[in-house]
Amino acid sequence: MLPSRSKLSVAVFLLPPLLLYGAAVLLPIAQSLFLSFFTWDGISELRFAGLSNYAFMFTEGDFWTAVTNQLGYLVVCLVLQLGGGLVVASLLISLTRGRELVKVLYLLPAVISTVAIALLFQRIYSMDPAGPLNQFLGLVGLDGLERPWLSDVHTVLTAVSAPEGWRFVGLYTVIIYAALLTVPRELEEAARLDGANQWQVFTRIRFPYIRPVWLTTSIMAVTYAMRGFDIPYLLTNGGPGQSSELVTTYMYKTAFLSTDYGYASAMSVFIVVESLVAVGLIVLVLRRKAV
Amino acid sequence: MPTLMSTPPLPGLSRERHTSPSAPNAVRRRPNVYRVLSRVLIAVLVVVQVYPLVWLFLSSVRTEQDFASANPFSLPTSFTLDHFARAFDHADLGRYILNSLIVTLGADALIVVCGLMGAYAIQVLGFRFSNAVRAMFLLGIVVPVQIALVPLFIDYAKVGLLDTYPSMMIPLAGFGLPMSLYLFSSFFGYIPRETYEAASLDGAGPYRIFARITLPLSVNTIVTVVMVNSIFIWNDFVFANTFVLSEGLKTIPVGLQNYIGAMGKTDWTATFAGVCVTVTPLLLVFLVLNKAMIYGLESGATKG
Amino acid sequence: MRRSFGTAVAALALSLAVSLSGCAADSRGVDSTDVDPAGSVAPREISWLLSRPADGAVIRTMRELGDEYAKAHPGFKLRFITTPDRPSYIQKYETLAAAGKLPELFDTDATPFARKLARHGRMMDVSKLLHSLGLYDRYRPAALDYQRFDDGSLYMVPFEYQAEYFWYNKALFRKAGVHVPASLDDFPAMCRALRRAGVTPIALDGQDQWPLERYAAYQPFRTAGPDYVRQLKQNRARFSDPSGRKSANWLSALGKAGCFQKGFSSVGYADAQNLFTTGKAAVYNIGTWELPSLATTALDPAVRDDVDFFTLPVTEGSATAANEFVTPSGIGMAVNSRTYDPLVRDFLKFALTRYPAKYAAAGELSPTSDVKTVLPKNATPLYARAVATAGKVGKETAVPWDTQLDPTSNAKFQQNLVLLVQGDVPPSSFVSTMDSVIGRNAPRYAK
Repeated sequence: MLPSRSKLSVAVFLLPPLLLYGAAVLLPIAQSLFLSFFTWDGISELRFAGLSNYAFMFTEGDFWTAVTNQLGYLVVCLVLQLGGGLVVASLLISLTRGRELVKVLYLLPAVISTVAIALLFQRIYSMDPAGPLNQFLGLVGLDGLERPWLSDVHTVLTAVSAPEGWRFVGLYTVIIYAALLTVPRELEEAARLDGANQWQVFTRIRFPYIRPVWLTTSIMAVTYAMRGFDIPYLLTNGGPGQSSELVTTYMYKTAFLSTDYGYASAMSVFIVVESLVAVGLIVLVLRRKAV
Repeated sequence: MPTLMSTPPLPGLSRERHTSPSAPNAVRRRPNVYRVLSRVLIAVLVVVQVYPLVWLFLSSVRTEQDFASANPFSLPTSFTLDHFARAFDHADLGRYILNSLIVTLGADALIVVCGLMGAYAIQVLGFRFSNAVRAMFLLGIVVPVQIALVPLFIDYAKVGLLDTYPSMMIPLAGFGLPMSLYLFSSFFGYIPRETYEAASLDGAGPYRIFARITLPLSVNTIVTVVMVNSIFIWNDFVFANTFVLSEGLKTIPVGLQNYIGAMGKTDWTATFAGVCVTVTPLLLVFLVLNKAMIYGLESGATKG
Repeated sequence: MRRSFGTAVAALALSLAVSLSGCAADSRGVDSTDVDPAGSVAPREISWLLSRPADGAVIRTMRELGDEYAKAHPGFKLRFITTPDRPSYIQKYETLAAAGKLPELFDTDATPFARKLARHGRMMDVSKLLHSLGLYDRYRPAALDYQRFDDGSLYMVPFEYQAEYFWYNKALFRKAGVHVPASLDDFPAMCRALRRAGVTPIALDGQDQWPLERYAAYQPFRTAGPDYVRQLKQNRARFSDPSGRKSANWLSALGKAGCFQKGFSSVGYADAQNLFTTGKAAVYNIGTWELPSLATTALDPAVRDDVDFFTLPVTEGSATAANEFVTPSGIGMAVNSRTYDPLVRDFLKFALTRYPAKYAAAGELSPTSDVKTVLPKNATPLYARAVATAGKVGKETAVPWDTQLDPTSNAKFQQNLVLLVQGDVPPSSFVSTMDSVIGRNAPRYAK
């Protein structure tokens, strides 16, 4: 603590961030919580609804489909971003030249807006006319796999999740790579002298060493996947049927298309709780292992 | 948690220098197959990451027939800039870029000012509930942005902020604040206490210390915070799509939607040209400043 | 510090949320029937929130008229707020309505949501307005009827008049040995024959949802007439009624017969049209607004002369006549009663009087019956025939269901339609799902 500080100076420095954060984050959370106990369509009077929005939410099939889809989306994103990031970062470590360039190239998609990515992937997945993905499968003799990726109820969820994973693979690669660099060489060398193979070096030395970073990146990846919205919304708008509907897109439509603000707010509250629980679980799991 | 260095270096200072002497040794010992395989894999991944963008740029210069009929893996057999002319015709791309720039700079300014002040109050000045306040801010990292849509829409309508630049800047800055506050406070942790104590003994108050010591030292962290946040703000779709109504305020992501016609008719080649134009500014900034950004990402996650 | 801040947030949230209820009640402006308010014409800027193509004839014509009016009335300006794609538009318009921020003029279909706005007195009575301006009788009755709510009240001004046809490729029909279907029930057989000939039977823009929804409306319109959907949306008719079941079974049969191109649900408007105009698909269901791209010398010569059209086939014992099909007058324009004043009236009088002649001169079908469409220079003979057919329609019109169902039911209907046609759900479960969706959501809009 700075010895010369005064109560006033603390308040002066704290007020602007608190105001911004309060107006943009805390107040909306409080309001969502409030609205979730009401029925409101934007035109008629606000009506108290008690817990009926929540009761409906927990029994509605469409809502649970969206929850399940969001988890699927989360899994695809995590596998691509964290799994992919870890593998690529490990490969990069062994690269002697051009690492900087490769990192920049991997990061490129992160700069592109989601609208552009959605437009791009709409073409890439296209079946008729055949887009790059289907043409590529044809070229390498995998014609059997050619399909309308965004129309097939079995592939669409993966197809809308992959672009999100793809655009941030580079980001996580860069972070994990930086962490891997901090692993002391002596530790690895010592392990190898003791006869550890590549895999053991990784699981016994490297990974435990970067666990704190892994915790941070996991939290990042999970929260971003929970926020996932743009690409599914723009690519398929949740379709076909509800096959790629996420809680976020469902909430958005309920609010801004069905003008059912009360129910949408109940879903917002659910999303926040869900995110907090997910992050809590990650912290719990990774912390316990670290002990 | 592991820290890379005791004091943050200049952005762009490559860390490889510390490790490169040992790296070749490690590589030489491995079997050749492994090395070749990993090179191939890295190359394939580069193609996966970069090819869609190359395809985007190529598509924007081929003629419509060429685009409709050609193999996407072939080089264009035609070259035209018509699509760019149509892209500028259909939509006011210059305006969108300007709007994105205004929103990005505005939100960045808010994030930096509030982030610096908040971190200074919590980390440097300190007060009784500082840990609770810090925890409250950190909570914001986890909260999904969608929760703010409905309430903010209603609030904005009440106070007349709907369809203005601030309507986008406020939530973008608000949700960006927790992460940058975290980055700033972990950076402030590296500034030695003695620096402050010496200044205090010289009679400097909290405001002077902030202006004379903290601020000048933070320049690199500010660059990092701005770079990382800019990517998200520049590309924001959900707030702009919800709060902006008039053509004159549309940012790039929302403006690109203009290429989708009334009944859904899309002029694909013009769309790609439009996408190329709007992608280019940030792409150029990124290519020039990528070291600062990569440094920011690395330090952001590995420190603190 | 933190505690007091938390309390402040809670208090603020409470006061804002409580004041929300007041939002709906406050009313400025005029009564919705006061179409000729007292006062002088004071030029100012007015806005029109619209969902029409930015370079389309409606906006072009109205922009010219706005500029002309501004010359005589300095200080006047007509500002266009365009959101061409329909889903984004609906979202924007509904949220603006909720926020009480609708501009002077705004586009809307005769949806349950619009009905709600009208009931709250937020839109001007257009029937009274057009009568008072002396323009009412110039409009085609069909164009006005399309804009009406179920009780016959009129709150929207039409700006276009369209007829939707099945465009088909004669050469491909010959190749497959099929004829123009005489009945809707002939569709599956037609599709199978075309498939056997290696042709995509019908090009469908599945991504935008509304084109497939048209197909859902066809069977009930023929078997039960336009009343079915009016009852359905109020939950007074059910999907499990014969008309609904027939529709579901027919759609499922279309899917099984491979009528639509593979992966149609992710194919957009332009790609679907290209399938037809490049001679890959045999049938394409679209309105006269596409005449400039279908009946034009600019079309690929190999396909151009083979393009023809047929109107919605009837069924056995059809309740509606062959010359009754989808003839929309496009999305209508509502006049906001909260911002209505002598200026808005004066401008509308000026613009609506001059609009039909100017619009028809651009090769379009006017919503009024007193002007003749001027054919574009590059039109093929098909253009004139299509325009002529549109002038000879019967009294009933097949209203698009997306303008009838409430927004929630409509969204779920569209989603489930895709699954039905793709064969992912059987007709029986489609029917029961839709009945429960409409049963739950229709009452919210009944009030």
